[in-house]
Amino acid sequence: MINVLFFGPVAERSGTRQIDLDFREGLRWQDVRDTLRARYPEAFEIVSIVAVNGQRVGEQETAPLTDGAEIVFMSAFSGG
Amino acid sequence: MNDAVRLQPEDFSLDKEVAALRVNSKRIGGIITFLGCARDFSEGREVHEIVFDVHYDMALAELLRLRNEAIARFDLIDARIIHRLGSVRAGENIVLIVAGAEHRVGAFDACRWMIDELKARAPIWKKEITLQGKSWVTPHL
Repeated sequence: MINVLFFGPVAERSGTRQIDLDFREGLRWQDVRDTLRARYPEAFEIVSIVAVNGQRVGEQETAPLTDGAEIVFMSAFSGG
Repeated sequence: MNDAVRLQPEDFSLDKEVAALRVNSKRIGGIITFLGCARDFSEGREVHEIVFDVHYDMALAELLRLRNEAIARFDLIDARIIHRLGSVRAGENIVLIVAGAEHRVGAFDACRWMIDELKARAPIWKKEITLQGKSWVTPHL
């Protein structure tokens, strides 16, 4: 299972904070992004930061996900 | 509740945090604090409340990393970072940064650096509650 989390404005636009997706071998975070972007286009308009298992990742990072991975799709932060 | 880095719903005391920084060392020659507060006015609207959303584990890990980086980078003797969660009323405290060093320059530079880095790196989002409605804040870096 892949555990996807949304927070703040992304959660509000998608109407959910957490989604479980089936795991398959070779799945990359970009595949998850593409699947969910089609489902929640308005939420993904503002996604600019992605973290896998607590670590920020960039487009160039294509390592396959492991079963149980957590992916967070986030908009720009506004704390402080 | 005396950890040097905390995310908490309750308010904090600037005096107690400064005292906690000083208790372990008499080598500190300068302490600089940054206290971020909830404004009651933003972009032409009266704000009466700010609500924070946070990825708690990631944010805490990031703030711990940030404190360690600041201590190493600016040769601090100690530093503390406390950020509120949940709901904060206008006029209340949001965030406190405390930096202590042998000399003032390192403490000044570290304090500014830590609040700027916190805003850029900590997964925290704020929503302003106004009479006209609610809206997520666009970052001011």
